[in-house]
Amino acid sequence: MASLRLFSTNHQSLLLPSSLSHNPLTSSSPRFVKNPSRRSPIRSVLQFNRKPELAGETPRIVVITSGKGGVGKTTTTANVGLSLARYGFSVVAIDADLGLRNLDLLLGLENRVNYTCVEVINGDCRLDQALVRDKRWSNFELLCISKPRSKLPMGFGGKALEWLVDALKTRPEGSPDFIIIDCPAGIDAGFITAITPANEAILVTTPDITALRDADRVTGLLECDGIRDIKMIVNRVRTDMIKGEDMMSVLDVQEMLGLSLLGAIPEDSEVIRSTNRGFPLVLNKPPTLAGLAFEQAAWRLVEQDSMKAVMVEEEPKKRGFFSFFGG
Amino acid sequence: MASIDSLQFHSLCNVQSSIGRRAKLRIPSNLVVFRRRPVNLNWVQVETKRRFVCRAIGDSSTPDEDIQNTQNDDDVVVVVASTESNTPSDSENSVSRFRSMITTLPPVVFVMKKCSGNGIWIGICIAATVLVAAVRTYVVRKSRDNQPAGSVADLVRRGQLRSGDRRGISKSLNYEDPFNNPFVKLDKGNSTVEMCGKVYRLAPVTLTEKEQTIHQKRRSRAYQWKRPTTFLKEGDSIPPDVDPDTIRWIPANHPFATTVSDIDQDLAQTNVYQKQGVPFRIRAEHEAMQKKLEALQNEEKLNNLSIDSQNAREFQRPYKLGTKLEGENIQKNSQDNVTGNSSSEETHKT
Repeated sequence: MASLRLFSTNHQSLLLPSSLSHNPLTSSSPRFVKNPSRRSPIRSVLQFNRKPELAGETPRIVVITSGKGGVGKTTTTANVGLSLARYGFSVVAIDADLGLRNLDLLLGLENRVNYTCVEVINGDCRLDQALVRDKRWSNFELLCISKPRSKLPMGFGGKALEWLVDALKTRPEGSPDFIIIDCPAGIDAGFITAITPANEAILVTTPDITALRDADRVTGLLECDGIRDIKMIVNRVRTDMIKGEDMMSVLDVQEMLGLSLLGAIPEDSEVIRSTNRGFPLVLNKPPTLAGLAFEQAAWRLVEQDSMKAVMVEEEPKKRGFFSFFGG
Repeated sequence: MASIDSLQFHSLCNVQSSIGRRAKLRIPSNLVVFRRRPVNLNWVQVETKRRFVCRAIGDSSTPDEDIQNTQNDDDVVVVVASTESNTPSDSENSVSRFRSMITTLPPVVFVMKKCSGNGIWIGICIAATVLVAAVRTYVVRKSRDNQPAGSVADLVRRGQLRSGDRRGISKSLNYEDPFNNPFVKLDKGNSTVEMCGKVYRLAPVTLTEKEQTIHQKRRSRAYQWKRPTTFLKEGDSIPPDVDPDTIRWIPANHPFATTVSDIDQDLAQTNVYQKQGVPFRIRAEHEAMQKKLEALQNEEKLNNLSIDSQNAREFQRPYKLGTKLEGENIQKNSQDNVTGNSSSEETHKT
């Protein structure tokens, strides 16, 4: 859902860095004005050059779901979570897949997961002992629900997750700013468990008909369960195929599902490399296209904002006279 | 690589001397032409080392002698043509003519030398540039071959692994400045954006709130779902007063779930909320182990008890002296027991 924000000049002066005057993004006209109605719809497509301001009540409990498997939920959880940590927010990522665990692999923390929620419930360890803190970003922590082949009572998982979230809120270090729950595929017990404590949802989909149908179903279930703040990330977008009309455009997907856009992630082979190496995409230097898109999505998530314009197609770069010489 | 059709060098003097030595060779000055064939770049260096070898071919008595080309090792063609005159006076004239030709040529020679010098330097520069580019390409290719993709060095080069991480001396990453991103550039009209070197056209989002509401209503009609609260196995009976929409049937062989609640929920909740101290199961196991150890220690004590000589007599059986004595003793004992009992009864009654 689109949300309008009002910014005062005092607010801008506190947040805008001193080097803003040299930024080419703001050289032409002020980005944030008092009256948002005068803003052109495309101007706020990229909300950069200032730190995002946290909106909503903390902790923000966000479930990342899709319905269909393999569309990029875990990748989105890892990259958005680390982007939030880099922005300075404390994040706890929960891998709510009861049977198959993958989030630790994407984050490169698979060797450090000793205890899970099942051990906490059974009394084998405390909750803080089951949290795995990332050494790269100390304000990012991982919590896995269970190890493979361990069983939990069906009706018990949702309650257990609610207790966990409540315990995280009241822990001595302070409540985290974000609790991100990586939901398993499907709409059965795992899905029900994962969405139980959530206040808002990110629906990850790809621009193909099967993912869209599942996404629509999942959106209906989320709304029935009382989660109204649902935003969409369209993953694996290929602008060349969209231009050739072999793939639905991001705007077509939005028209079919009727959800606000949080981000559009282009297809990037670096995703596979980062997955295999346990090094999330957003930490690459220089950043890749998909990494930048994840960062932008995280920025909008913090501010509870949505995309106002999408990148439609690639245009040939205009070359000047001196481009031949590498200019 | 320009081919030079005619060239005059200082080495001509050698030719001249050689011509002079061979008196029989008649080479008019105006007919001696040194022609060089275009070979390669190295002609600049070769020309200083070249040696002119002139060979006289045939007898020059006939006026119409054929012109024959000779070729030396340095691809120099000397064309010699003979004329009609064979007398010594004619030879002197030819020599003088040749000399005069040579003396008039220095400016030309000088110009040619000058141009050749510039051309030489240009050639040197081009050759050096090509050589440097080739060497650089070779070095880069060799370094890439030495570092296979996926190796630790490759990961460090790509920025995905820090060399200090493995040695445990790395510091936490400080994000430089994500809010002033040079990789994202908007144009002045906000119609295109450049990201990672690629330019994209922007299109505004067209979804309105009214359309969103329409979609929500559609989904609420299409998907009627209630959160399940009762989980039953196959064969279980449905409890009364339970909404059938909230019942979920779980197969008994579900790999990752069970309907049986083996966990005490209150205890589980307490375990989750525990902030400090030893977790419940660890403490329970520790206490159980302690009890077991104590029990084992008690058993060992009993087994290791030592027997004293004084105590041993008490456990000995009485020695048999005779039957009468035994009978008298028994009677005594019985009478004592009776009086003992009666006195005890009296005491109980009082």
